[in-house]
Amino acid sequence: MIRVAHLTVKYGAIAALTDVSFEVRPGSITAVLGANGAGKTTLLRTISSLMTPSQGEIFLGDTALVGQKTEDIARLGVAHVPEGRGVVAEFTVEENLRLGALSSPENSAHAVAAQFERFPVLAQRRKQYAATLSGGERQMLALARALVARPTVLLLDEPSLGLSPMVTADIMTTISTLSREEKLTVVLVEQNAKSALRIADHAVVLHVGTVVADAPAGDVANNDDLKRFYLGLVK
Amino acid sequence: MGGFLASRFMSDLFNGVANGIIFSLIALSLVVVWQSTNVLNFAQGAMATFATYIGMAQVEHGINIWLCMVISVVVGFIFGGLTERVLIRPLYGKPDINPIVVMVGFLGFLQFLAAAIWGNIPRILPSPFSQVFYTSKGHTIFLSPFVVFQILTAVTVMMIVALVFRFTTLGLKLRAAALAPEVARLLGVRVDRLLTFGWMISSAVGSFTAILVAMQNGSALSPSVMGSVFIFGFIAAAVGGLDSPIGAVVGGLLIGLVEQFTLDYWQANMAPVMALVVLIVVLMIRPRGLFTKNTQRRV
Amino acid sequence: MLRPNCHRLPTTSRWIVILGVTATALGFTFTFNAGLNAQIASGAAISIVVLGLTWLTGWSGQISLGNSGFMACGGYFVGVWANHHAATPLVISLLFATAAGALGGLILAVPATRLRGPYLAGATLAFATVTSSLVYVFGNWTGGPTSQLFLNSLTTPSWFARMFSGIQASLNSSAQYGADLAICVAAIAFLFMSNLFHSRLGRAMTLVRDNDVSAELMGINLRRTRTIAFVIAAALGGLGGGLQTLLNGSVTPGSFPLTISITLLTLMVLGGIGTLTGAVLGGLIFAVSSNVINWLCSTAGISSTSNLGTNMQGIVFSVLLMTTMLIAPQGISGNILRGYRHLIQRFTSKIDNSPA
Repeated sequence: MIRVAHLTVKYGAIAALTDVSFEVRPGSITAVLGANGAGKTTLLRTISSLMTPSQGEIFLGDTALVGQKTEDIARLGVAHVPEGRGVVAEFTVEENLRLGALSSPENSAHAVAAQFERFPVLAQRRKQYAATLSGGERQMLALARALVARPTVLLLDEPSLGLSPMVTADIMTTISTLSREEKLTVVLVEQNAKSALRIADHAVVLHVGTVVADAPAGDVANNDDLKRFYLGLVK
Repeated sequence: MGGFLASRFMSDLFNGVANGIIFSLIALSLVVVWQSTNVLNFAQGAMATFATYIGMAQVEHGINIWLCMVISVVVGFIFGGLTERVLIRPLYGKPDINPIVVMVGFLGFLQFLAAAIWGNIPRILPSPFSQVFYTSKGHTIFLSPFVVFQILTAVTVMMIVALVFRFTTLGLKLRAAALAPEVARLLGVRVDRLLTFGWMISSAVGSFTAILVAMQNGSALSPSVMGSVFIFGFIAAAVGGLDSPIGAVVGGLLIGLVEQFTLDYWQANMAPVMALVVLIVVLMIRPRGLFTKNTQRRV
Repeated sequence: MLRPNCHRLPTTSRWIVILGVTATALGFTFTFNAGLNAQIASGAAISIVVLGLTWLTGWSGQISLGNSGFMACGGYFVGVWANHHAATPLVISLLFATAAGALGGLILAVPATRLRGPYLAGATLAFATVTSSLVYVFGNWTGGPTSQLFLNSLTTPSWFARMFSGIQASLNSSAQYGADLAICVAAIAFLFMSNLFHSRLGRAMTLVRDNDVSAELMGINLRRTRTIAFVIAAALGGLGGGLQTLLNGSVTPGSFPLTISITLLTLMVLGGIGTLTGAVLGGLIFAVSSNVINWLCSTAGISSTSNLGTNMQGIVFSVLLMTTMLIAPQGISGNILRGYRHLIQRFTSKIDNSPA
């Protein structure tokens, strides 16, 4: 579904990603793990063309993404929930969802209603400003907004950031259900490796801009060396 | 009743509102552009004047005055888009000073170019409505059909802008592009086009304002006709808060009333001084204007 | 972008350079005709104002469109004073002009130092408008309803006139006196500012400009530093305006129009924001601009009295301002400096690479 080939991205002279290659299978959840500064966010931003790589290619199916405009990539069915969720605080819940429906070919009122059905919490807060929502609700809103346009690929940047373990578990379950029900391909960038590995099918571990592991999630979860050196899971 | 309406206070009120609404329109078009592109368009008045010259020059060719006004506004609309594409686009992400300097340069360029093409001699424009004040039982009320037209159309323009921004999908996109451009792009909104469109709307509103200003009683079209109006408009926008369309409208009315009462009860030359005093006092208390939510300083 | 490449010369060599340039300029005035000397004089006066603007914008990071207002403060103060105390020595008049400008700056600084970016630019623009209407408000001082003041024109001191009697009788000593006077005043201003640029205050200023939070954490009082920057820039504006008034022998509301602010901005940006060299170049460009424009018009066959001819200078300046900012925002001196550094780098790298 998504193929990243020999990707190198630089901030000025500093390389954030060096020769990164991996594949994401359709309908799977791929966790991209690693410490702060490993290049996880840069990877997602490059897929969405918010950053331009100095080398390498990214393909969505057969379509090359490098060089395309961010908005066109979104219209190809790639929904990107950015770091910090990207909820427009000055908009109401409903306006945020309507914003998500803009690039959708379907009837936007229907699409918005469908999301209210899926996330009843949001339906209750329909007219409330997004600024008044809690962290978990905001993450729900960001997810719902991404789904309004019926994407085929969902890029999630640190959905657990700033959330309590309980809410995180909730969100992860939602992501897992979504992926199964909607046949969504999910790229899940997480620092919280434990909860991500719980729902992921596959895992890519980044360390200072290079891929150090690319394996089924179960293998990564059982590899103590990986967990100790790169994921901080085993003391 | 006629006596009251003709009183000095009421006539100042009418005049203040009539002028203030002009400042509101200027402030509004500054705010539209500021919100979406973080550029304060110093050339706004000059752009509007230029568009007005192009449209109103057609009056001399015997074209209907209303059609000329439409031409001016359409020219302003296109002009705004061109300006954004050619001058402003290369400046996104640059330090604050770069767009300021470029827009001041553009202001000078347009003003001198207008003087070079059409000369410095003011041209009196025909007015579509009578400029003669109404009278009631022998008392003069300081309202003329033209002033009523001015106030009504200005309010209509404001209402249209407000409705578009608040209730349409286009407005939703425009606001999203202004508030969170990156998120909007991730959701498939074509932000680049919207920024251009924002400039087009702003410039069209500006052109319409310039027509009203040039048609006013005692005024005429000259290359610098919008000079002081722009300053008052900017003060209005800054008083209301550059991020707030409502602030722009309120700020404009406030400055219009301050100007009118100062020039009637004190003297005309004190009007800009008092406007500046209002600006200073407001900004000392709220550095981002009356209607802006205080945002934290970026570190 | 805005960071002036402060090319640090040691104090002594800086003084030698400035005095050398001054001496050369003074030398040239002996060979120029009266018209050219008058242009040099106003160029020198303008360069002082540009110096203030470049300090304010380049070093303290505050933009101002109100420097024509500071010029008006200085200019009208000199005018009003001279009409009451005709025998005031030049130096005193100029000091008064400086003080008047500084006072204007101090008043404007109260709100201005709280504002940033476009708010600041707009507020200073409004200030410039207000000074020109205040000139009318105080009409009974500034010359009645038309607010025009005429001063006794500068009298050439006898010692200066005597210098010419032997050399070249046709030289107009009064125009040359004006030019020499303006050059000397400018030289003093540049010497003062060159020291200030590299002083403790100058360094504090650049820190406030680049990162106000860390400046504050280092114990720099932001408001005070910004206010001082404003007052100094305004003082230089007042000095330039006062000098201009003395040279012209008159001051009218049209002496310091808003368009002067555009001209000042153009000269600063063209020369290079934040550099002394840039301010000198700005003055020089202003001095020769009318000749260049006239030549341009006559080559293109444009009558100098036509609409296009009279507005040509404004058009050219505005286009230069826009294009410089869009294409080469560091201006002439910035780009020369870059070329110079480049050369030095190539030279030194050659030495490094050369076999021992």
